[in-house]
Amino acid sequence: MDQAVRTALADFIIEDFLFGDATRLPGDGASLTDAGVMDSTGVLELIEFLESRFGIEVAESETVPENLDSVAALVRYVSGKRAGLATSA
Amino acid sequence: MGHRPGTADYLLHGGVPTDVAVVDGAARHTYADLRLAAGRTASALAALDLPPGSRVGILGPNSVFWVAAYLAVLKLGHVAVPLPDRATAAAVRRAADLAGCAVVCADRRALRAAGSELDGGPALLTDDVVTAGPDPCWPDGAPPDPAADAVLMFTSGTTSRPRAVRITHRNLQANTESVLAYLRLRPDDRILAVLPFHYCFGASLLHTHLRAGARLVLCTSLAFPRTVVDLLEREGCTGFAGVPSTFQLLLRAGTLATRPLPSLRLIQAAGGALPAVVVDELRAAQPQAQLFVMYGQTEATARLSYLPPDRLDDKRGSIGRGIPGVELTVRHPSGRPVVPGEQGEIYARGENVSPGYLDDPGATADKFTAHGLRTGDLAVVDEDGFVYVVDRADDFIKSWGHRVSSQEVEACALRLPDLVQAAAVGVPDAAAGEAIALFVTRHPSSAVTGADVLAFCGRHLPRHMVPRSVTVVDALPLTASGKVAKAQLRAGALASAPASGAASPSAGVTASPSAGVTAGVT
Repeated sequence: MDQAVRTALADFIIEDFLFGDATRLPGDGASLTDAGVMDSTGVLELIEFLESRFGIEVAESETVPENLDSVAALVRYVSGKRAGLATSA
Repeated sequence: MGHRPGTADYLLHGGVPTDVAVVDGAARHTYADLRLAAGRTASALAALDLPPGSRVGILGPNSVFWVAAYLAVLKLGHVAVPLPDRATAAAVRRAADLAGCAVVCADRRALRAAGSELDGGPALLTDDVVTAGPDPCWPDGAPPDPAADAVLMFTSGTTSRPRAVRITHRNLQANTESVLAYLRLRPDDRILAVLPFHYCFGASLLHTHLRAGARLVLCTSLAFPRTVVDLLEREGCTGFAGVPSTFQLLLRAGTLATRPLPSLRLIQAAGGALPAVVVDELRAAQPQAQLFVMYGQTEATARLSYLPPDRLDDKRGSIGRGIPGVELTVRHPSGRPVVPGEQGEIYARGENVSPGYLDDPGATADKFTAHGLRTGDLAVVDEDGFVYVVDRADDFIKSWGHRVSSQEVEACALRLPDLVQAAAVGVPDAAAGEAIALFVTRHPSSAVTGADVLAFCGRHLPRHMVPRSVTVVDALPLTASGKVAKAQLRAGALASAPASGAASPSAGVTASPSAGVTAGVT
């Protein structure tokens, strides 16, 4: 797992969704929506964060829980997108 | 109704043991499984030796545990108190304390979110009871008095502070019967339940589908609109129910408009006026499905009226007439029923109308009157008795001496296909009395601006109805039941009055203030 990406994501979730309470961050594999950490507004904020922080574009078809609903999924998704960008560049 | 069974047995009566009752993620629970889960929860609850009629909170997203706990509480003659699950931990604690909950049946997912807020409060019974609980018990015994409280439901509080509404066993069963009489649900129906069961509309879906022996497919988040539509398709759902924001989201940010869903035969819309354009989009998207536009209130258990789908065209914009067993009357301020075309307030009578609020005689006296339940909704009636809601009494904006319906302003803006949602509120203004502040969300791919929306409204609305400002936001603040939280919008609009004449960033409007961009008129 890309630790820099994970840290950036965890920091964002703790800061924006949990108001700084790191103890409520679910495990890396756990669903953020099930845990009540992220709602539909949160997903939009998350996408904005991914696009500005990592310079990727999140397509509508990629807005699915398999990519965005846990820390582990997010790290995988962001790393995959950046690798894709690097090879296509 | 003659002999009334206890409400838990009334709800579970029709389910065939081998039929699936609840689909909860990957798990499929039959009616036999549900009875077992409810029996285990009842057993664990009975061991706490609470006096009859104790109030028991239920906390968590919709789940088989939630349903089992609800049934167990009712079976033991206690009072179920569904607690808001997406609220702040402090709000949950306040609600539990307000209702005097001795015990809370809590989903561990929700407990994590509540942190330490529930420490030192009510005793907790967690969701592991359904899998690892004691031997089930389902005591025989006289059912509770039909006039006794079955459930305390919190009102959604779009405009005011939440109150607990007392719903009796008679209320709950009467409303369930009425809804089934016109929706005609069958054991082979499958509803995708996205509305939380702690909200009266969600609870009504739970009651009616259990009673019909049908299936509830749970979906606890609208965060991924595409996934919701996938689930409708994959589970072969025959029914779907939502509040206006649900449909706006799924049509314009999801794939409900383009995905063929041949199984879907019944769509229920309530919880606020569904704008005409959304009605049209929904019917065009899923022409095989019957659309039931309905109207109700927590104080009436859930449902008060419906518009038969075959009247959608000739009675466009109407909430229909009273459901079976409910008498709806629109009354002039003097108390007499209005004549066709005249405006008044909707009153309702029926066995589904609550006896009142918990521990609040003042509010109860104001709302539950000699004419029945005073809904707070202003309406007109046509010659055939069809009711047309003009607006919530609280949602009128007094602009330039006119009473402007916020719904009319919102409906105009939503004719722009780029917009997903719109909400208009009044903010104090020295010249106009109240100025109209409009908040909109747009389609993810759209670049429409507040100025564009403002120009559109200016072309299509009379001068006194044109918003003073239009603010594009990422999302509208919603109440726990998915309705737009207008009180919060109003407060946000006051905190960030835009500089007139210039598009300027606005702050503090919603949970995502960074993206709010306001266009103002000079």
